[in-house]
Amino acid sequence: MTFDAAWAHSLLNPDAELPADLRVWNHSDPAIRFAVYRNNVVASLIQALADSFPVINALVGDEFFNAMTAIYVRQHPPRSPVLAYYGADFADFLQDFPPAASVPYLADIGRLEYAVIQAFHAADMPSLTTQQVQGLLINTEKLAQLQLSLHPSLQTLQSSFAIGSLWFAHQGAGNIADVQPEIPEALWILRFQLAVEVLPMSAGDCQFLQALLKGQPLGAAAESVIEAEFDLIRCLNVLLQKELITHFHYL
Amino acid sequence: MSAFNTNNFSTNGYELPASVGASLKPEHFASILHTPPPLGFFEIHAENYLVAGGPFHHYLTQIRQNYPLSIHGVGLSLGGQNPPNLQHLTALKSLIDRYQPAVFSEHLAWSNHGNHFLNDLLPLAYNQQSLNRICAHIEQVQQFLGRQILLENPSTYVEFTQSTFTEAEFISALVERTGCGLLLDLNNLYVSCRNHNWEIQPYIRALPLAAVREIHLAGFHREIDPMGEALFIDSHDAQVDDAVWALYKSIIQQLGPIPTLIEWDNNLPPFSDLLAEVQLAQTILDAYNTLPAKAQP
Amino acid sequence: MKNTLSASTLALAFGAAMTLSAAVSHAEDGAMAKEKCYGVAMKGKNDCKAGAGTSCAGSSKKDYEGSAWKFVPAGTCEKTASTTSPTGFGQLAEFKAKTK
Repeated sequence: MTFDAAWAHSLLNPDAELPADLRVWNHSDPAIRFAVYRNNVVASLIQALADSFPVINALVGDEFFNAMTAIYVRQHPPRSPVLAYYGADFADFLQDFPPAASVPYLADIGRLEYAVIQAFHAADMPSLTTQQVQGLLINTEKLAQLQLSLHPSLQTLQSSFAIGSLWFAHQGAGNIADVQPEIPEALWILRFQLAVEVLPMSAGDCQFLQALLKGQPLGAAAESVIEAEFDLIRCLNVLLQKELITHFHYL
Repeated sequence: MSAFNTNNFSTNGYELPASVGASLKPEHFASILHTPPPLGFFEIHAENYLVAGGPFHHYLTQIRQNYPLSIHGVGLSLGGQNPPNLQHLTALKSLIDRYQPAVFSEHLAWSNHGNHFLNDLLPLAYNQQSLNRICAHIEQVQQFLGRQILLENPSTYVEFTQSTFTEAEFISALVERTGCGLLLDLNNLYVSCRNHNWEIQPYIRALPLAAVREIHLAGFHREIDPMGEALFIDSHDAQVDDAVWALYKSIIQQLGPIPTLIEWDNNLPPFSDLLAEVQLAQTILDAYNTLPAKAQP
Repeated sequence: MKNTLSASTLALAFGAAMTLSAAVSHAEDGAMAKEKCYGVAMKGKNDCKAGAGTSCAGSSKKDYEGSAWKFVPAGTCEKTASTTSPTGFGQLAEFKAKTK
């Protein structure tokens, strides 16, 4: 094993042998000193996940969270030094983590928390001016062919569980005891004026937005919605009010 | 001798003032903008700002308008087995281009294994082979960024049987061969010297002190090893230790005022407590400045 | 079910949305304000400090393979009014039995 492979293996596996060639001046057990590094690596990454997934942490409690993330950290160490984006596949890990099976909505909460992070750090992009938006209404015949570019923070998330309500309950909005977790919910996640917002929308609204995000023009995107619950006016209102339309183009 | 020397890249049109700065923490963004504190400069960890947009860039842009800036990298893995990651280097370059910091610094340490980032500043053996390798890495980074970088001495907890240089000799050779500057972390120096029973004054004398462009001060955490000896940990979670203050005073007396950073990353105190540490360091810099001219070297 | 939209329907919807958004932005973001996210930690996750201590997270040997895993989710999830899937001990006991 190369030097760095041996270190990485020992750092991430507490049962592994120490890397070769360590020296301690007083010949005390190098394992004690090496433990400082083991602790730094694992504890700092657990902390990064705790900062990124505070609702997961609150839902399962510190003890469970720390033990669970210690496993995740060792199985999925970061692939980039930019820790803001660490945990992209944490939700998938939660999905397949048997001890957490009793909290079936945990993985989707993880997806929501990661979407919030992505929205928080998404690129800045100016929206259309009021004049530009008013100009769109002049050509009503062409509205169906209007292709919109949307703010990079904008995402949708649909779940079989009440993940929005559960998440709001952890932001001081609503009481968690009143939440029925088994009710499906659909959300839009976006950033508006420096703040991330999570908006309860319908499944049809999410289908519509997904079609827009894939580049479909307004008419085709609206017609592609097969979910019964869909409010076109509400969708357009959010896009305009939250300044999410950044460019337009007629197909 | 490298194609670079400090003269080519020393200032980039900006310089840190020879006064005391503090780490910029997002927790303090709002209060800093509301009441700009009396500080010489702010220092950020580069990797926290390698995000596309949003509040971090919004606030940093505003704070940068009022303060000189130092960018301190923690993920370049200069001491690694492989050359610095080009993608990461490219991201650093655009951050540097955007915010025009007075200095960019990194660590004598490594953190990458293959595609994995281990999120710690890991130690390395000091010998001819590693010297050649790290010189090449530093030269590559300086070439790519088009500027001098500062290299920070590490705090370490183990040594290696394959080391043939002392740490100070190794740093001295790196500085001489690459023309990089030295970020002298006095807390790291003290922690490493105590952890490895190195004598402090000979270590300092062996350093290329003329290359020191910045000093770091921080607090550490005390443990003991199984033989009852010091095992000090570079935890940045407390006030600067008296022993480190003493080192700082003697270095400033020797070198004159040097831009100095108070690092506090863990158990963040109220901003006022951080400012009190800054003020303590500033008092030491000011004491030098008021010495009679002939007493200055 | 497929929606077919005439140009005039689309224009009406767009116009209505514009009117709404103009009204709401004048009213300081009224109705939607309560859903704003205040939960994003304004924290940098990269730093160069060491964690205090030598032995907690780094050398813990807890794993969920086998019988060593001894934790149950014990946080706010215990407060949810779950009807079909009991939180906590019920399912976990089952899981433990399987892995022993």
